[in-house]
Amino acid sequence: MLIVENLHAGYSNSEVLHGVCLEVKTGSVVAIIGANGAGKSTTLRTISGLLTPTQGRVLLNGQTLHGRDAAHAARLGLAHAPEGRRVFGPLSVEDNLLLGAYRHLPALFGYKKPARPRLDTIYELFPRLKQRAAQQAGTLSGGEQQMLAIGRALMGEPSIMLLDEPSMGLAPVIVHEVFNTLRRLKAAGITLLLVEQFAKRALEVADYVYVMERGNIVVEGTPVQLQQDERVLTAYLG
Amino acid sequence: MQPTIIAQIVVSGSLIGLIYALIAYGFQLTYATSKSINFGQGELVMLSTLFSLSLLNWGLSYWLMLPLGMLFGIALGLFVERTAVRLALAQNSEGWILMTIILGLFFFSSAENIWGRDDHPFPSPFATDPISFLGIDITCQEITLASGVFVIMGLIELLMNKTLLGKAFAAVATDRDAAQLMGISARRIIMLSYGLSGLVSALAGILVAPITTAGPTMASTLILKAFSVAVVAGLDSGFGIVVIGMLLGALENLASFYIGSGWREVPGLVLLILALALRPAGIFGKAIVRKV
Repeated sequence: MLIVENLHAGYSNSEVLHGVCLEVKTGSVVAIIGANGAGKSTTLRTISGLLTPTQGRVLLNGQTLHGRDAAHAARLGLAHAPEGRRVFGPLSVEDNLLLGAYRHLPALFGYKKPARPRLDTIYELFPRLKQRAAQQAGTLSGGEQQMLAIGRALMGEPSIMLLDEPSMGLAPVIVHEVFNTLRRLKAAGITLLLVEQFAKRALEVADYVYVMERGNIVVEGTPVQLQQDERVLTAYLG
Repeated sequence: MQPTIIAQIVVSGSLIGLIYALIAYGFQLTYATSKSINFGQGELVMLSTLFSLSLLNWGLSYWLMLPLGMLFGIALGLFVERTAVRLALAQNSEGWILMTIILGLFFFSSAENIWGRDDHPFPSPFATDPISFLGIDITCQEITLASGVFVIMGLIELLMNKTLLGKAFAAVATDRDAAQLMGISARRIIMLSYGLSGLVSALAGILVAPITTAGPTMASTLILKAFSVAVVAGLDSGFGIVVIGMLLGALENLASFYIGSGWREVPGLVLLILALALRPAGIFGKAIVRKV
């Protein structure tokens, strides 16, 4: 379970988050929706430790994440598939995946064998990645890179996955495919905190939704509750 | 112009070139992980060599001195990272340039104070009698030098290409934040790269000192050559650095023999200018394929 309390953070003197509170229960899919610049990505970056909060607390299964770096959060079982996918372009697809399980594998030799079952699971989920296993990740299409980013995050068998704008810059067909994958992951019981601009799509998979505006959570509720909220309807679902 | 003489000049030049290559490899190691290099690398070479010489003078055997000297190099590399590089990188500043230069000056003065300004002969357990092979004379010392360079570079390349840690190095080099998200501590990887860089510097000094002697200024020309090699070859390829290092060493020897000893430094500068003008990423610099 992820608990975020009164999170304040920003970039060089300008505060972006003004006291964000949210909760992700184990096994649930939670979405953050909101306009561009509302602070959705900043929230994820601060939770995972890429950004240091100026105030507030982040707890993952009772362990503190705030004030530590991103590597620490990753070692505690938090996977963050960041905005823009950020795959390791010069490395092969398979190497990208292997690095996703870095904390579970021996650092020097003999890492291939223990990684096999994990790789097979990911290749089953994304058969396209298996075909391209030896290819440089930078040469993949946007959709394939998104799958790789998700697969890489899953390789570490995280206790929670943060997923930032998985539909960004992708063709509608591919977006559909990505959300189908998220549904499968949800069915498999993964805990997911999803940031998405496509509010409708996010509401389809989420159990609980937070709406962000200018660095604050302004509305929250189940998708059903939000669909009855006049303000949310006109601003995000119209 | 006898072919054996040319061959002899080329071979002994390219052997010295291997030392340029090894020092340049030290630049490459830290540049890969942190896009920073130690501008005081020459002082690292020199200090490690003088330290190793003292170990020999205290009566340690060559084979005991060798690992201790390299350990000293690692310690110096870590010291440079901690004092001159880490803070600058954390603030995304280029402050490491000035800081490593200052640290180098500090190392230089320390060496002058501890060991004096004179050059000292550096003993070697290997025979200096030449072995003749196809009319070319090679000494045991030169063979040791070459095998030392190849063994250490081979081992490090093995680490980089065959281990998961090596892939983590590449990940940190490509995208530090994304690597952190994988649970890879970028700080530790950068530290490790500075440690390895210190190790190869120490080894380069120990291998070359029996030929050049050991003293505070021993590395001042070596480091310029190494820098040319790093720039000409590009900072991506260990293989490229060896090729360019040997080429530069051979060209220097040929120039000083056929044109005059004053012309020794010319090929390096010409290569450097040509590379900067024609291929700034280096001859062996990698072009990353990207698709959006």
